[in-house]
Amino acid sequence: MSQTDMKRQLSDPASDATDSEDMEEDDEYANYYYDNTDDLDIDKPKKTDDPEYFEYTILQTEDAERLLNEEVERLCSELKMSPSLAKMLLHVGQWQGEDIIERYQQDQRKLLTESNVSCPKEMKEDSLVGSSPGCPVCAECYPRDKFMGLTCGHLFCPHCWDMHFRFQIEQGITMGIECMGQKCKILVPEDFLYSVLKDSKLRDRFSKLCFMDLIKGHPKLRFCPGPNCSVIIHAKEPRAKKVECSVCKSTFCFRCGIEYHAPTDCDVIKKWLTKCADDSETANYISAHTKDCPSCHVCIEKSAGCNHMQCSKCKFDFCWMCLGDWKSHGSEYYECSRYKENPNIANESVLVQAREALKKYLFYFERWENHAKSLQLEEQTLQKITSRINVKVMENEGTWIDWQYLQNAAALLKKCRYTLQYTYPYAYYMDKGGRKQLFEYQQAQLEAEVENLSWKVERAEITHRGDLENQMDIAEKRRQTLLKDFLEV
Amino acid sequence: MAGLPRRIIKETQRLQADPVPGISAIPDEANARHFKVEVAGPVKSPYEGGTFHLELFLPEEYPMSAPKVRFMTRIYHPNIDKLGRICLDILKDKWSPALQIRTVLLSIQALLSAPNPDDPLDTNVAEAWKKDEESAIEEARQFTRQHAMGNKPQQ
Ligand SMILES: [Zn+2]
Ligand SMILES: [Zn+2]
Ligand SMILES: [Zn+2]
Ligand SMILES: [Zn+2]
Ligand SMILES: [Zn+2]
Ligand SMILES: [Zn+2]
Repeated sequence: MSQTDMKRQLSDPASDATDSEDMEEDDEYANYYYDNTDDLDIDKPKKTDDPEYFEYTILQTEDAERLLNEEVERLCSELKMSPSLAKMLLHVGQWQGEDIIERYQQDQRKLLTESNVSCPKEMKEDSLVGSSPGCPVCAECYPRDKFMGLTCGHLFCPHCWDMHFRFQIEQGITMGIECMGQKCKILVPEDFLYSVLKDSKLRDRFSKLCFMDLIKGHPKLRFCPGPNCSVIIHAKEPRAKKVECSVCKSTFCFRCGIEYHAPTDCDVIKKWLTKCADDSETANYISAHTKDCPSCHVCIEKSAGCNHMQCSKCKFDFCWMCLGDWKSHGSEYYECSRYKENPNIANESVLVQAREALKKYLFYFERWENHAKSLQLEEQTLQKITSRINVKVMENEGTWIDWQYLQNAAALLKKCRYTLQYTYPYAYYMDKGGRKQLFEYQQAQLEAEVENLSWKVERAEITHRGDLENQMDIAEKRRQTLLKDFLEV
Repeated sequence: MAGLPRRIIKETQRLQADPVPGISAIPDEANARHFKVEVAGPVKSPYEGGTFHLELFLPEEYPMSAPKVRFMTRIYHPNIDKLGRICLDILKDKWSPALQIRTVLLSIQALLSAPNPDDPLDTNVAEAWKKDEESAIEEARQFTRQHAMGNKPQQ
């Protein structure tokens, strides 16, 4: 069986655990005890409850070919047509088999015309050279029966068809090859192509490219975007949900193929990433690793992920993002993640508006960027913790199983902060109003609990296990609440 | 140079025996795939009275791929940029091997009569065209007087 069942609840804290070098030898144990750690979150959401639940399987090339062939064969037998035509109809009709069958049975000619696979009589225009016996493309003369064409009636010599196919395949075009006639959109089905194209290398190349085209056009299939990974993801529903490739371990959004981005949707994250790339110059100056303590002004370097900072000199607790007193964070007055727009902006000059727009963007970008950095730093923290645990285990201070909860906590922290990072593009593009207020409220709640969890994970060895597990539970609940309300399902 | 395909020979003959009104296309003596083209600005367009020089080249893959065409004379037009490149669908994805040099030149002539600022190549010109068509047309006239009247083919 090459199909790996990936039906999995993504809310498992351990599911995101990263392999670090230190962890490798413990991996077997980690996997062995994996199931036993389930009781950590007692009220783990059920399938239907979990806003991130997603069913998919991992297919090898042959599996995917078989799957496509089955769909083609089903259409063939249902509508009594050639596999070549069925494949074309499915590709053009985005593999909506049922819909195609229905439309075909209602009005066969209409469907074939709309799919550009056959030409209605009235649209047939005469070939370029008309009555003369020459081929309209090469102008060479051949006996009439040498000419070939599709239902549109545009006839050309086999040599020109061959040249046309070669040129199109070289351009990477396969399912979209059209007839050579002027303004003719009739698509070339593969049996016609194979009847002309004899070069075995090119036939091979066509078949490979064609397969890729078919997968790309299939809403429920996607090539794994991981480097050098050739598996194909088969989703039950074509949704913008998280996929983890069991072969190369990359994670990505099923619908758009880039990094998973909940709660932001595919179009918005694309817009955001383009904006960040375009404005990278402007945003560069904020990438500071050091800031001054707001109380005693000593220079502080950020070396861990948590944004709840404590000045090592004066012990003042403050927020790395806004440099405000940490005490005011996490309360209902928590304003750190909320951008306060100038209410009078519409009446301001163009210059003030432009400055305000930049300020707004930088506010969101800074937080987006900061969480990305925190994720990196927390990754390092996890590795440090892991090696410290190994030392403890060696010194018989508990067993590896005893410390498993810490690994889980770090993995959960990563997952929560990741979602938190992706709340910022979402908020940036949101329209003002009640829904944005609710979003910002939940974002602030999540933010506060993520930082609390980070604080406790960094001080894991002195934090009570029950306290840490409680904090994990709260943070994940905040994350789930936000996704339930805002992740489009 | 390798033997010229029959298709190109026939097209060239027909272009000369039965030229498109307002357009001349003459193959280069040294390279029969290279044409010197002159298009007269269409009447009632801001290009009226001007003579526009273009170069047209038939690539090796022609007619499987489209001819390459470029304006040599400066022109103020939303679908033609400073380098003389032309935004025309049949020169790109709408090319068909059954189209000819003649059809391409006719389409270019039509583009001069009916600029399409909604599918711009030169966004500045297109913006100006959409904002204030009258001034844009005047600007195009001015360009025509300055660059396309009494001009000799450029090398
Ligand atoms: Zn031919
Ligand atoms: Zn046709
Ligand atoms: Zn993969
Ligand atoms: Zn996506
Ligand atoms: Zn201080
Ligand atoms: Zn803050």
